[in-house]
Amino acid sequence: MTSAAAIDRALVALFAAFMLSVPWSVPALINSFWVSVIAEILIWSLFAASVNLLFGYVGLLSFGQALYFGCGMYGVAIGISDFGLSFWPAFGLGIVVAMAMALVTGIFAVRLTWHYFAIITVVFSLIFYFLALTNKWLTGGDDGINFTLPSTFSFGGALWSFTDPTFQYFFILGTVSLCFWLMHRLIGSPLGKAFLAIRDNDVRASLIGLNVYLLRLIAFVMAGFLAGVAGALFSFFGRYASATYMFYHVSGEAVVWAIVGGAGTLFGPIVGTSIFIVVREIVSTHWEHHSLIVGVVAILVVIFAPKGIVGLWHEWLTRLIERSTTTRIETKLRTEP
Amino acid sequence: METFLLLAMNGLIWGLIIALIALGLAIIFGLLDIINLAHGDFFMVGTVLAWATLQSTGNFWLAFVFAPLVGFILGALIQRVVIQPIHNVAALSIVATFGLSLILQESVRITFGPTPRRILPPIQGTVHLFGIDYEVYRIFAAAVAIVALVGFFVFLHRTRLGTWVRAVRHDRDTAVAMGIPARRIYIFTFAIGFALAAVGGVVAAPITTVDFRGGVDILPFCFMAVIIGGLGNLPGTAAAAILLSFFEGVISSVADPTVARISSLVLMSAVLLLRPQGLFKGLTR
Repeated sequence: MTSAAAIDRALVALFAAFMLSVPWSVPALINSFWVSVIAEILIWSLFAASVNLLFGYVGLLSFGQALYFGCGMYGVAIGISDFGLSFWPAFGLGIVVAMAMALVTGIFAVRLTWHYFAIITVVFSLIFYFLALTNKWLTGGDDGINFTLPSTFSFGGALWSFTDPTFQYFFILGTVSLCFWLMHRLIGSPLGKAFLAIRDNDVRASLIGLNVYLLRLIAFVMAGFLAGVAGALFSFFGRYASATYMFYHVSGEAVVWAIVGGAGTLFGPIVGTSIFIVVREIVSTHWEHHSLIVGVVAILVVIFAPKGIVGLWHEWLTRLIERSTTTRIETKLRTEP
Repeated sequence: METFLLLAMNGLIWGLIIALIALGLAIIFGLLDIINLAHGDFFMVGTVLAWATLQSTGNFWLAFVFAPLVGFILGALIQRVVIQPIHNVAALSIVATFGLSLILQESVRITFGPTPRRILPPIQGTVHLFGIDYEVYRIFAAAVAIVALVGFFVFLHRTRLGTWVRAVRHDRDTAVAMGIPARRIYIFTFAIGFALAAVGGVVAAPITTVDFRGGVDILPFCFMAVIIGGLGNLPGTAAAAILLSFFEGVISSVADPTVARISSLVLMSAVLLLRPQGLFKGLTR
């Protein structure tokens, strides 16, 4: 018997198989440029996932995730160009800086909810955006920092580094997959259930003994971790860091990607990000006003599929299966909001 | 001293213009519970309409009639087509208005072009004021902003339509039971918000540059005014806009403008954390 879960599992397997074959199948089908586009999509999906962790699972709409993305980028870039770190310590530095920043700002931010939370996260990210712009000695301002990439692994004489596009792709795929797997485990864990309880009703959650403030802070630091990893990867990928990636428009795009894809679903951010970046890459070569399409798509999805594309797909799938088994199921299934 | 006075004056006048725009943002937020990320672009559309009016008719003053009218119609259309179907869900409204912001910016980039332009002030000349030579147009701009602000509050408190707007904001269900057409009030409020921002754009066009990205810098500033003034507190919002801008002007006379912006952002965080109802809670109704 086919069930929605089985179809989903098959799709995920198919997706994983495609992702593993990208460095060979994509150059054969289209061209090798698209391999790096797909790597970029993976990084931005992780960034959108950090918005999704906060909004989709804890109910906090953050409009300042770009700050932690920028911290990841600058941690790597400053680590390599100023401190002369090698690959792994720089990677670690980027993540630690992002998480530390998330902890410090989170202590204040998670005291607020809803509109206030959305606004204070923007404010924090704007403060550090302007600080990064003015302190050129540290951040390079608008021009950013360029650096030469150290190799990732070296065993004896053998070197693996991001200069090899196939290695770069698999390193990004591996890291992003690991993060998504961690998030999948998190959602199934007691901690994840506590997050969902807070999302659905924070008063009730506090009445059953959950420490709402602390749990929100934990989620905020976790989201900072995801954004930091994404930023560090993007820094390695582009070999530079720039304050422009800390602007609130970058955070806004991630919010749009996550909600259009489907907030509160693991794969929503991947779907949303892929659609927008693929559209951008295809359209921008022919027509420079691709943002117009992004805007129209965002509005259409919000009006016609308020649960996002993954949510729409699940609704459609459930209805399809229900129809094929109408004799068995009499009562209408109530789906979770 | 002279630069101090000049920058403080500039700050004050810019604050009056910002107050107009922030007021639109505040009524949209208070009534429809929507965080309108496209509001800065409403202002930008106003500046572009001022430029277009000047180009096609050669008369800048016509823009004061034309821009609010176009803004009102566009606002009503946007509310009906985009905002109403999402039933005021906050998260969705953020995505929708973000999309709207992209659409407005790109449409202007296609029609108006990507290069920023300047409009010469329609009133030339300077006036000697407190020991400095001050541009006459800026004083005129302040007067227009004050008239529009006062006009808006008179409308809100002294006309039937204004009373309806306040009634729907206060208690929607009771207002509907009393026979007030709430849906039309929503459309009307959004349209008024756009029109106010467009007026702000026309007034500001000769002072600032006309650019399709002109709203991006304005938006955070307007949000600061709305927050510091207190969400939904309209006189507070206007006062906060003027104070903030004056404050930034004063600071930028002794330090970098970015430092001024950072300090007002820090001030805003403090207000959010310590007095989330705004600085002026209790001072007004």
